Amino acid sequence: MVRLITHNLLACHAKNCTQTKGFPLAFNDVRVETKEAEFNADFLKSFYERKIDWDALVGAAKQLGDTSLPLERPEMVDDDFLQLLHHVLLEIHVEEGEMICPNCKHVYKIRDGIPNMLLAEHEIG
Amino acid sequence: MTIRYLVFFAQVHPEFRLPELQSIAELYGFQVIKPASLPGVSENEIWNPSRPFWVIDLEDEAHAIALAERCILIKSIYELYGHGNTYEDVHSQTLACAHLWQRFKEDTSFRFIVTAYSDRIPMSRQKEIVDSFAFMDMRGKIDLKNPDETFTCYEEYPDARYKTKEDDGKNTLLHIFFGRLVTVGKARALVQKFDVKKRSYYGNTSMEAEISLLMANQTLASPGKFIYDPFMGTGSMAYTAAQFGAFVFGSDIDGRQMRGKGDSPGIMIAATQYGVAPRIIDLCTFDVTRNPLRCGDLFDAIVTDPPYGVRAGAKRLGRKESDRDRRVQKRLANPERELLQTTAQEDYVPPTKPYELSDLVRDLVRLARYLLRPNGRLVFFLPTVTDEYEAVDVETALCSGMEVVANSVQDFGNWGRRLITIKKTTNESFGSPFEDGEETDDDSKNHVPAHKDFREKYFKRFQKN
Ligand SMILES: C[S@@+](CC[C@H](N)C(=O)[O-])C[C@H]1O[C@@H](n2cnc3c(N)ncnc32)[C@H](O)[C@@H]1O
Ligand SMILES: [Zn+2]
Repeated sequence: MVRLITHNLLACHAKNCTQTKGFPLAFNDVRVETKEAEFNADFLKSFYERKIDWDALVGAAKQLGDTSLPLERPEMVDDDFLQLLHHVLLEIHVEEGEMICPNCKHVYKIRDGIPNMLLAEHEIG
Repeated sequence: MTIRYLVFFAQVHPEFRLPELQSIAELYGFQVIKPASLPGVSENEIWNPSRPFWVIDLEDEAHAIALAERCILIKSIYELYGHGNTYEDVHSQTLACAHLWQRFKEDTSFRFIVTAYSDRIPMSRQKEIVDSFAFMDMRGKIDLKNPDETFTCYEEYPDARYKTKEDDGKNTLLHIFFGRLVTVGKARALVQKFDVKKRSYYGNTSMEAEISLLMANQTLASPGKFIYDPFMGTGSMAYTAAQFGAFVFGSDIDGRQMRGKGDSPGIMIAATQYGVAPRIIDLCTFDVTRNPLRCGDLFDAIVTDPPYGVRAGAKRLGRKESDRDRRVQKRLANPERELLQTTAQEDYVPPTKPYELSDLVRDLVRLARYLLRPNGRLVFFLPTVTDEYEAVDVETALCSGMEVVANSVQDFGNWGRRLITIKKTTNESFGSPFEDGEETDDDSKNHVPAHKDFREKYFKRFQKN
């Protein structure tokens, strides 16, 4: 767990970090596992068309050693592309490690696949 | 043209029955039509939730099968041939709809079942009743074990729980139904499957299986939907939503609830037991009022049992007013040191302050308006003190673009909880209620809902002074 779809949705929310400044979080010192996931074309398409931050996904995949995605966000969504997207968004799991805010450097720890996104007292606005 | 069906319901959670039927019909895009009138039945007895039999009209037998596949409260569905207070009525109606059963006359193996709700019919009378349908002239093979079709005659007697003093002793026949079994309820078996006691991971906040399933149906869970539980706890509703194919995201302020004591998270162990682990997208630890989701308009449904203080009190990050000043002083004195201390600690647990239920509910509805897609649903429990409850209590939590579609009480005597289903009816995007700038609007705040200070009332056993 901590799949890249989740990473694509999490931003640092400490005070003074906005959803743009505190995103994307950088992976550090990670242990990665790949696990087969259930393919659902509609789910992928709707996420891709409406919500994805492409550059963040490409960057995060690269940090985890996966460079299968094109740097430019493709216009054409065909089956091959959906398979690729499926693998990167859902099948790569970060089980241990950290995610670091690019702005305030808050370290969000990941243990047993669960990220601790709690803020410390002085970080809430 | 519609076809008339008889639905036999489990006699539990009567107020959940209609919302469940409507939800599944909406999910598959068909109508469940209430008969305007029925022979020998007064109008207010049609779809009476305290009776086990409902007559419904559907456009297609496939719709009956879809209902039986998903509705937890359905025991069986019959194509209805006749019903009334006397066998004469039942026979003549059955004859009048011969076109419905004629096709089974020649080569169909069949059996007849004569049975009663809330009574027993002696064998000899059962046989008489079967014989009285001889006019149907069924010529196929009788097969008691594995017939092609089962014709069933039900006599309904008053439910023991609803009997009045006058009923005492005698058992009045309320109604007779006769029809062909279309399907038994397939979803009811899930109540056993998700039994909390047989679950490999659960806690004292786990939601009972039947209610978790009913909640999942209220969300319209189906393959490819994305569903969120912001008070995930031990994940009871995540398993049932995932059972119906949805992908689930969960979060909780207390990671230990989701994690348990083992090496891999307890929720994932239970999800594996149920075969739905790949559908649990992720579990995150955070305070829902300080949540790190980058954008809204994400989920098809939010399903949750908010902490209402009895077993697991609501909390949010921050400090009680009383000791805040002191901390601010200290923090200003040495901000660097505190930063190091908190982020480096493995299991740093930040301080929390109480979160009053009526605030929480208002926030939850606004959070749902932000996080849900248009037509998405928020399904959650609202505890409330029964005799103080007013319909306006749910209304006070509403905001524009969010409409109640169902509100069913589960009654525990001197308290109850209401399962509320709210639909996002707007296409507009709204911000998060926890972002700066959003003021709590309108005058609904002036009304004091009965669920305010629920925890205190619970511990005072609801005594009013
Ligand atoms: C009633 S329990 C939910 C139980 C869950 N449905 C289950 O099956 O176990 C409420 C949960 O809300 C969590 N909680 C309380 N305050 C919270 C907050 N501010 N943000 C997120 N979670 C919170 C508690 O840790 C608790 O696990
Ligand atoms: Zn930050």
